[in-house]
Amino acid sequence: MDFFKSQDIARRNTVRLVILFALALISLIAITNLLLLFGLGAFAETIDTPMLQQIDWHLYAYVSVAVVAIVGFGCVYKIISLSGGGAKVAEMMQGRLIVQGGNDLDEQRILNVVEEMAIASGTPVPPVYLLDEEGINAFAAGYSPADAVIGITRGAIQSLSRDELQGVIAHEFSHILHGDMRLNIRLIGILHGIMVLGIMGYYLLRSSALSRRSKNGGNIAVVGIGLMIIGFAGTFFGNLIKSAVSRQREFLADASAVQYTRNPDGIADALKRIGGSKAGSVLENPGAAEISHALFGNGVRFSINSLFATHPPLEKRIRAIQINWDGSFDIEAKVEQPEPKKDASAKLNTKGAMSALTALAMTDALLSQAGNPQQANLTRAKQLLGAIPGTLLEAAHNPFSARALIYLLLLDDDEALARQQLKTMQERADPAVYKALLEMFETHLEISQELRLPLVNLALPTLRQLSAEQYTVFRENLDVLVSSDGRTSLWEWVLQRVVLHQLDAVFLPGNRFHHQAHRSLKHLAPQCAIVLGFVVRAGRQEGLTDQEVFAKAMVELGLPESKMPDKDAFSIDSINIALDALQGLRPLKKPAFLKACAVAIAADGVAHALELELFRAIAATLDCPLPPIPLPDET
Amino acid sequence: MGITTIIVLVVIAVIALYAVAIFNQLVSLRNRFQNAFAQIEVQLKRRYDLIPNLVDTAKGYLAHERETLEAVISARNAAANGLAAAAANPGNASAMSDLAGQEGALGAALGRLNVVMEAYPDLKANQNMMQLSEELTSTENKVAFSRQAFNDQVMAYNTYKQSFPPVVLAGMFGHGEDASLLQFEDSAEIQAAPKVSF
Repeated sequence: MDFFKSQDIARRNTVRLVILFALALISLIAITNLLLLFGLGAFAETIDTPMLQQIDWHLYAYVSVAVVAIVGFGCVYKIISLSGGGAKVAEMMQGRLIVQGGNDLDEQRILNVVEEMAIASGTPVPPVYLLDEEGINAFAAGYSPADAVIGITRGAIQSLSRDELQGVIAHEFSHILHGDMRLNIRLIGILHGIMVLGIMGYYLLRSSALSRRSKNGGNIAVVGIGLMIIGFAGTFFGNLIKSAVSRQREFLADASAVQYTRNPDGIADALKRIGGSKAGSVLENPGAAEISHALFGNGVRFSINSLFATHPPLEKRIRAIQINWDGSFDIEAKVEQPEPKKDASAKLNTKGAMSALTALAMTDALLSQAGNPQQANLTRAKQLLGAIPGTLLEAAHNPFSARALIYLLLLDDDEALARQQLKTMQERADPAVYKALLEMFETHLEISQELRLPLVNLALPTLRQLSAEQYTVFRENLDVLVSSDGRTSLWEWVLQRVVLHQLDAVFLPGNRFHHQAHRSLKHLAPQCAIVLGFVVRAGRQEGLTDQEVFAKAMVELGLPESKMPDKDAFSIDSINIALDALQGLRPLKKPAFLKACAVAIAADGVAHALELELFRAIAATLDCPLPPIPLPDET
Repeated sequence: MGITTIIVLVVIAVIALYAVAIFNQLVSLRNRFQNAFAQIEVQLKRRYDLIPNLVDTAKGYLAHERETLEAVISARNAAANGLAAAAANPGNASAMSDLAGQEGALGAALGRLNVVMEAYPDLKANQNMMQLSEELTSTENKVAFSRQAFNDQVMAYNTYKQSFPPVVLAGMFGHGEDASLLQFEDSAEIQAAPKVSF
């Protein structure tokens, strides 16, 4: 499915969700009042009828308000607590972060599989959290690819083969790329309020059991039981809502997994293993009930009714993938295989140019593949990973050197200018980091253009391990580095934006409720003009003036009357602000803007691999992950 | 059920929810610093793995300095055990201080080895030795950096735990003790780093 369309659909699903929730709330209020009526009805004989009627009205009003208030507080509290993004969900499930450099083969394998999938999709590599569970299950959580995390159980990494793991991870990436995660977190928040009633009832019941004074105890017990009944009703509606949203998306995610890996056996075998194992996909952690709809397989032991199950039955899922399945869950025992050696022989795109037509056709192809990596992309990803020099890969995997790696990637292409930047850093930098940076610089004077974005994506999960204070320092230094040579190359700016955009989403979740504005192009025309103007000016196309290129780009965007802003409108700050505003572009309008960027980049008829990578990077700053560029002879 | 009862119920509900929020935040902050220890563990393990190689390389040249070498090995083993204990319980005061002590002892033993090596220029010039020393230094930097991150997260946890109102509830929720920082005596090189770190 088209990436941008599915983001749009995910947004509309949120509207559906809110409506369902409102209906559920009304039903809950009705049930509460009915219970009250029933309860009071028992004492009706002792009260005068006219008085009863008067009391009833106020009583029902207060009770209704109370229900709304409790549910409301429950929701707000949970939404706030989850606003920390994907990592919060993982912590709630008591996940342990898997860091690179450990000795466990299973852990290393899952990290490699996740890296390959991320590079193939063009997203930052999500951190992986390990859940200490025997069941085979996984989840993806977060508001956007930038703050996404993947959780996986110990049972899964120990029982599944590499292909099967890849199937599961591809399924999870489908959730990340189709906007399901954001919806899932909202679901958790909203449903929590509804379920809280039952939890309260339970606690009241327990406390009444402890209270010795029979009269008060009796009343509290009644209230407790009443709340529990309401709570069950709440959970009932909660599961109804979850299942309405989630079951179909599971089929879609399975289908996407097959598409990404071109290997239906991988995910089918993973499902079979779940079916054939004792623990299945069930999780012991009580938090599993809350995130049940976000899991790979059914996480709760007792699904009241298949009508309310969050996942389609295993058999149906397997058959959807393998039509000729014989119905048996027996698979061969997993064979322990060492990690395949990285293929270092791959060819990378040289600095050779491509014709403009090919370049534009390629940007079209890339855009259509947005969020929909193919198997060819996975293969390409493995090649890219194999081509990365060992020291740089190692640097990307620990927080200390990852900083030096980012500084390295931000150094100017021109060696003289780069040395100037290095000098600035030598004066101000911590000697250890400077030393690491210098060493990397001396040994890797030529880093292929195609490896830059993958290296950034590899370093991002490592940089998420920085403490808040360390991040503040790192952030300031990126600014200094980019502006230290007096001019900002387009590549420097974009790369810095990619890094900061992704990390700010984690460290500075400014917009706690993560609203997605939906502005039209017309509304954001001035911002488009600033960003495109910058791309044009910094691009320096041969044979065409800046105005001409700008005009071409604006025609592509459908805003031919836009004027290129003056020189003084272009400060780093103003461009950053404009790009921030463009985050709020409607999902279906983003491809249009990106195409305009492509025109600006390739207007002179010649587009190098560098410029295409630039295109990918700009798309990354707008949360549009584009897969890596294939080799010229593959187009 | 009178109006008062309902109002009381709602107030109890709000307080209860707030208390749960505090509990969850405490859990989250604790998880965070425990996860931060993982990076320290990786780097320290790397450091401890380098040392037997170092000692083996040096053995050939330092035939008469067996005691110095053995001291290094035993300090390294003690530290490795201390690390395992600390990894099982990050932030625990005794585990942290034990590890700090053992690391200190290891540092001292390595220091003595360095002094001894001064008298053996052949050994110093040995390719393998130079590479290993280089890696040891680089690992030290990584340890220092990850330790800083860990300590930052520990401080965040302690500060939250001691603020009002969490301070009232922390004890009841199983967060009675402050987490302990991990403090190594940094080598002279690291101590000489300028205050403004990049």
